[in-house]
Amino acid sequence: MRSFLNPLFALMLAAVLAACSSTPAEDDSSATTAPEPTDTSPVTPVEPAEPVKPDTSSIPLTADNFYNHPSNYDGTTDTRVIYFAFDSNTVPAAAFETLRAHATYLKNNSNAKVRLEGHADERGTREYNVALSERRSQAVEKFLRVQGVSSSQIEVVSYGEEKPAASGHSEMDWAKNRRVEINYTAGTP
Amino acid sequence: MKLMKHRSIQAVMVMLAMLWAGSASAELLIRVTEGRVDAVPIAVVPFAGAQGAPEDVSQIVEADLHRSGQFKPLPAEDMLSRPSNESEMIYRDFRVLGMEYVVTGSMKALESGGYEVKYALFDVSRQVKLLEESYRPPASQLRDVAHAISDRIYEQLTGIPGAFSTKILYVTYNRNDGKNPYQLQYADADGHRVTTILRSKEPIMSPTWSPDGRKVAYVSFENKGLPSIYVHELATTQRERVSSFKGINGAPDWSPDGQKLALTLSRDGNPEIYMLDLNTKALTRLTQHYGIDTEPRWLPDGKSLVFTSSRSGGPQIYKLNINDKSVRRVSFQGAYNARSDVTPDGRYLVYVHRRNGSFNVGVQDLQRGTFNIVTRTDMDESPSVAPNGSMVIYGTQDGGTGVLQAVSIDGRVKVELPSKEGEVREPAWSPFL
Repeated sequence: MRSFLNPLFALMLAAVLAACSSTPAEDDSSATTAPEPTDTSPVTPVEPAEPVKPDTSSIPLTADNFYNHPSNYDGTTDTRVIYFAFDSNTVPAAAFETLRAHATYLKNNSNAKVRLEGHADERGTREYNVALSERRSQAVEKFLRVQGVSSSQIEVVSYGEEKPAASGHSEMDWAKNRRVEINYTAGTP
Repeated sequence: MKLMKHRSIQAVMVMLAMLWAGSASAELLIRVTEGRVDAVPIAVVPFAGAQGAPEDVSQIVEADLHRSGQFKPLPAEDMLSRPSNESEMIYRDFRVLGMEYVVTGSMKALESGGYEVKYALFDVSRQVKLLEESYRPPASQLRDVAHAISDRIYEQLTGIPGAFSTKILYVTYNRNDGKNPYQLQYADADGHRVTTILRSKEPIMSPTWSPDGRKVAYVSFENKGLPSIYVHELATTQRERVSSFKGINGAPDWSPDGQKLALTLSRDGNPEIYMLDLNTKALTRLTQHYGIDTEPRWLPDGKSLVFTSSRSGGPQIYKLNINDKSVRRVSFQGAYNARSDVTPDGRYLVYVHRRNGSFNVGVQDLQRGTFNIVTRTDMDESPSVAPNGSMVIYGTQDGGTGVLQAVSIDGRVKVELPSKEGEVREPAWSPFL
């Protein structure tokens, strides 16, 4: 199961790199394969292209990789749910582009406000899960703040296991419930 | 009331069919799934004059005693005689059936609209009357009288006060109710007479009783989806929002003197235990740690708390001295121990323990240092101890639905309280009322 993650990360890394504008590095004599600059025009930031969507059809969507599966994230503000691994409050790598899109939008629209709603799966005690889910929404908050979003645009609330997205009790239901929802309370994109 | 009985070698199951025609919809049904093998044989003779009364007191008493798991009532159809008072008592008729005790009684309608209820308790082997009392309740209080009789009999025979007259507070979740899926309710300890305190579109959590049983405190997300703690007086339905800081406002628990709440706040960015003086509204921070600190529960001395903390990694139970704020770890078995409650004598800690991915209620004997898992379900949460220390009620899942179950501190008695509608969770056993 875990072995899925490596190709997945590789794919995502490729996507992230492809989406970034490639600025020529400082001349580095140790780099033997440094590409010759082909033109001498000043470097202009490349307009962020449509995020390269890797073909994910070969990656089965399982409870184990659900939080980091590319199909859950489209790199735009259309994606409003960030999923988390079991017992984890680490923002998944696959969600970085999506969260950057939210950050860019929030920075460009100072009237926009988001509420980050943290949730846990049903296992464990309720108040402890409220605390765990707060750590998830705080992790997303921190990501947005690092991108330069003002704290006045972010509100954090923690629901623990009280508002499940999926009402079943399987591993996949739990994967869908370990999440942070990004809800715009003003200036919705 | 209909009473269906089904017996097997190890387990005795009684299902109480619906009692209250009027408000029957949301009541809890009670089923004893596991009784003690050495349960005491007792005959509760159907009370004379019960026909036509709104409640059959003897059947309520019989069900109470049976639900305790410590008594094994004799089916009425097996009785050789049905005395209603001492003069009609023939001890031999019960001794040949192996009975140790007999309860007799009668109900009589009064012109006032009330009832006269008499009962007596007999010791079969010694052939003596142990108790004899009478009550004159209005018809609306026949259930209260029945539970009071059960309490008296239980205490007489076990030496422990009965807890049949207490109530259970709990949260009901009905996902089919699009308007108000969350409800805060309480019921008699036998599941009857459900009263709804609060209905909400947003979650209600962590209900708890004041020590005098007149108020409850709980977390409600009704205000813009954000959590606040409310103190709610049951008789007047007056309520006060006592905590609505930024971040978590959670896990309220009343101090034994009723003057303070312990609670969890993350107003400083991290969940910590605080103490709120309900009179002055003064707030005192009790813990200082970057880990999660939550789920405080006062110990009976009023000078210390137990709480859940992740300061060692996973959640474990810690004890906090309120005076000097010193903290020491209490739970050591396994990687997940949380949401503790404590028996009224302070001897046992009851908390949720994870083992092989299963969450069970465990009991830690603080005197002997032993620890026992007392349930066999696997998604247990929110254990709450009865005020006489005999039983623990907790939330768990049955067929994917939240239900309440109860277990004796020694794990020998198990009782199910399946809900008729919706999921039932977070039970809190009232103090003596």
